Amino acid sequence: MTAHKGPVEIVLVYQSLLGIYGDRGNAMVLLKRLQWRGIEAKLTIVEPGDPLPASGSVYLLGGGEDAAQVSAVRLLKTDGSLFRALDAGAVLFAVCAGYQICGTTFTIGERDEVIEGLGLLDVETRRGPERAVGEILSRWRRPDGTETLLTGFENHGGFTTLGPDAAPLATVEIGVGNANDGTEGAVQGRVIGSYPHGPNLARNPDLADHLLQLALDTELEPLERPEIDELHRQRVEFVRRNARR
Amino acid sequence: MSASTLGRRAEPDVLPLPDRLRLRAAVTAGNLAALGSRLANRGSGASIRGQVMTRIAPDAFRLLLRGRRIAGVSGTNGKTTTTHLLAAAVRAGLGADSARLVTNADGANLHYGIASALSQAPGADLAVLETDERVVSDMIAFGRPEVLVLLNFSRDQLDRHHEIKALGRSWRAALERGGDDGPTVVANADDPLVVWSAGTAANVIWVDTATSWTADAALCPACGTVLTHDGERWDCPGCELTKPAASWLVEGDSIVTPDGTRVTPQLRVPGAFNVSNAACALAAAVVLGVDVDAALRGMRTVTSPAGRFATATLHGTTARLLLAKNPAGWAEALPLAASDPVILAIDSVAADGKDVSWLWDVEYEQLQGRRVIATGPRAQDLGVRLTYAEVEHQVLPELAAALTAARGDADSSPPGGSTRAPVDLIATYTPFQRLLKMAGLR
Ligand SMILES: [Zn+2]
Repeated sequence: MTAHKGPVEIVLVYQSLLGIYGDRGNAMVLLKRLQWRGIEAKLTIVEPGDPLPASGSVYLLGGGEDAAQVSAVRLLKTDGSLFRALDAGAVLFAVCAGYQICGTTFTIGERDEVIEGLGLLDVETRRGPERAVGEILSRWRRPDGTETLLTGFENHGGFTTLGPDAAPLATVEIGVGNANDGTEGAVQGRVIGSYPHGPNLARNPDLADHLLQLALDTELEPLERPEIDELHRQRVEFVRRNARR
Repeated sequence: MSASTLGRRAEPDVLPLPDRLRLRAAVTAGNLAALGSRLANRGSGASIRGQVMTRIAPDAFRLLLRGRRIAGVSGTNGKTTTTHLLAAAVRAGLGADSARLVTNADGANLHYGIASALSQAPGADLAVLETDERVVSDMIAFGRPEVLVLLNFSRDQLDRHHEIKALGRSWRAALERGGDDGPTVVANADDPLVVWSAGTAANVIWVDTATSWTADAALCPACGTVLTHDGERWDCPGCELTKPAASWLVEGDSIVTPDGTRVTPQLRVPGAFNVSNAACALAAAVVLGVDVDAALRGMRTVTSPAGRFATATLHGTTARLLLAKNPAGWAEALPLAASDPVILAIDSVAADGKDVSWLWDVEYEQLQGRRVIATGPRAQDLGVRLTYAEVEHQVLPELAAALTAARGDADSSPPGGSTRAPVDLIATYTPFQRLLKMAGLR
């Protein structure tokens, strides 16, 4: 995605289906962080039943209940544009239930019915021993080797295991993450999945900028926003002070 | 409509002697605990009374409900206000007989809160009870309510009950078990989850509340198909679930009754959503046998149910206190807050929901052009949200500092002082309760 014509397009996929935890926040964060740098950007919100654009630079999937996950997989496979966009170099950032549906399989309902996912990440999700709910802190190693703390709130019943084609996004310091195995999220090419839901990127501006740089294939100017850095600092301090285990 | 009249007294229910004695001991112990709490200046003691009572008589809730005609009110938002409106309507209908009425006006709506309120009025045979969503099925089973108001169903504190559908399922099961003797349900036809949840009731009175919050109802609760919305209509393409035809309608500031009469409630609580609440309260009052005019007269006396919309002077700032517990509540409260500056107070202890992700489901963008003072323990999260919404703001986590800052602001505008319009202050549950306490309203 080097030669860009027109505004950079952020696509929020099925907001009313997969948006249960304020997940639209991630879209607002990406949009503003482009605009604040003087880069023309637009947000496209796609509702179920409407076609997805194939022209997006970053696609976002959020959290939702079981039935919403099944609907989203079916609609996305029928639509096909997400797969075409990813082939053309777009970035996908999926959180919570959205992360689970990117995998090969996941389960729903009381009887743990196995559902085939989008197959974009080599991960499998099964019901965990107990629901993971609370603040989570992890260490994210960037491609250049530098490390940043990621803070967020996780709320998921599924535990996710990674296959050989997917790499963990981060290492858990406090919280459950993928499966209480010390790993959090998954990366495979330009698809990134992560459990901390909702406005994940509002708390983690470095991860937000990383997604944008990946999508635009360019280095972005740093943004000076002390208030956002302060939120990151406060949440890191809070989770360390109130560690769940 | 039911042939019920308000004059009809509930059939007294004489408890077997052992139950009676146990209950009496429990109430005595509860009252002592409540007195202790009041003497220690820890509030009304209603909650501690209920807890102590329930420890001694675990079935106090069930026993105390017996021998009364009951109206239950539940839903995610508006149940406290609607309970106050319905209780006021019934009180007006009773006239000199108003001692027949008991209600949990303080909003204590779990088993022990309800038991606590009932224990204080053994002779009251009419009970208007705000009922938490999780208590509705027990209320149906043990209270056999005459009427049950189901207002709306939206996400509230998702880290605790992550699937509202499971609650809806429990309502359906309880209503099904209630059968033909079950309650007459007064239900909001605009909310697909409510419509589905009430679907097993033998008798439903639908109210078209003209509410528009559909963000939590993308999928059909019955079959999982994506619902279609067309103006005020909604339909499921996958099954027969659809917006039912309503007998009561909200149209602007008016309520249209089943016989087509248009009445204007002229409430003293603000906002279109309170007209919707009033329509549901009115429909329920009529089921109980209150006539429409008396009900309206009663509802017009309601000003600040459990402190909502109350005005108080705190740290030198006169503030109007608005409560918003979830995105749907914020969507209602934000348009009411017209002051500049406006104070927003956010916390994230259990009662507020520990996860503040919902901040991103609220359109704070509508505050652009005004100044916001963000306060409460999660003021920084709100501050960042406001930064992304391009809203000018100040982050002052201490309530006292926020109130003082608002005063400083207001002082600089109109000279004279005393006739200044109050500053609107919207708070989540915990800071709201703190403010009520600071103001001596609780
Ligand atoms: Zn359906």
